[in-house]
Amino acid sequence: MLLIFEDSQKDHLSFLADLDAEVLKEFGKISLNFIRKGANTKIFQGAAQKLGVPVDTVQHGVEALMYLLTESSKYLLNEIDFQDSIMTLGFGDETRSSLLALYLEHRREIRDILNEMSLDLPHYHNLEWRFDVQLASRSLRHQVSPSILMKLQTMDGDKKEMKMLQTDPVNLVHITRVLEEALQEMKSGYCRRITRNIK
Amino acid sequence: MELAATVLENIVLAGDSAHISDKLFGQLVTCACQGIVFEENRNVVGDNPAFKDVDKAILKAVYGGLVSLIVEAAKHDSNEQNISTILEECKFTSDRINEFNKIFLSQKPHLQLLLGKISSSFPHIVDVDWRLDYYIKNNNLEKIDSAVYLVNLKTEIPDEKELQDVQFSCTLEQLQDLVGKLKDATKCMEKIAQV
Repeated sequence: MLLIFEDSQKDHLSFLADLDAEVLKEFGKISLNFIRKGANTKIFQGAAQKLGVPVDTVQHGVEALMYLLTESSKYLLNEIDFQDSIMTLGFGDETRSSLLALYLEHRREIRDILNEMSLDLPHYHNLEWRFDVQLASRSLRHQVSPSILMKLQTMDGDKKEMKMLQTDPVNLVHITRVLEEALQEMKSGYCRRITRNIK
Repeated sequence: MELAATVLENIVLAGDSAHISDKLFGQLVTCACQGIVFEENRNVVGDNPAFKDVDKAILKAVYGGLVSLIVEAAKHDSNEQNISTILEECKFTSDRINEFNKIFLSQKPHLQLLLGKISSSFPHIVDVDWRLDYYIKNNNLEKIDSAVYLVNLKTEIPDEKELQDVQFSCTLEQLQDLVGKLKDATKCMEKIAQV
């Protein structure tokens, strides 16, 4: 698939076509930093003075480049689609290949950042267990009741949560078996067929 | 097993045929056991016409003494011999000792089951539900294409009627990790069980 740009974005991107390779690299670095840490508008002033262009032009250029990088990463464009998408923007061969290199090098990282921003559920992080035998309690001595204590760690965004749980041998065997079945299900013909077709 | 002096006094009263006849003794011990095991039988002695000829104050003392003895004996898993020793000290006749033992020992497993339930514990896992999703895309990201499991552990909490849920999601790798650890625990447990 190809990316679709609005006219204003095309204008902004075409500003990049006239830049030196070095300056373009600098723009790439700034865009990546903004994607990582958020925008820092102070940088535009200095860059605009150096290049002798209005601050707006620099800002729009960086923003358009950020858009190009995040959108291509979002759709996981392959090399050919990426190049075809920017074909019509009037870049020289050198500019195109350096943009492609920039995209390919940082695609993974940008996808990770986008993934962090996505809706997420509390997910499994770690499980620790220990095996106890209860021997006595205040109300009953001479017991032998085996129990498995478990510390379940889940992550909700950056927040780590811990839960203490326990179970008995019969239930431990039961939940292990049920969850093993869950794992096997992913290998079933049905699930494999579905996942193969959704691509 | 140690009993307080007042409890022992009450047990002595229970053994005294001047207060409790041989016929009533057996019924009283049965009532005491039932009173502990079934909540609705807590007050079964007071309204029972069989005991109407016994002085109320004595009946109360005797009942209290027997209940204390039964609970303590169950708690310490006392056998016939331990109990006989105590009852002999309380001047019980051997007939009454045998009768008490017969009734008590038949009820002991029930009593101990109840006593065992009185304890604090962490949420106890009794079942697990799972659901398998295929995560395709979201508003920020396309082509995610990975399996996501939603796991719901059903847990029992002491004194709560409803089962509580512990929910979390995991990827295929995370579930493999979880199942691997549970299998380790199962293996460890089975090894210990064989010893």
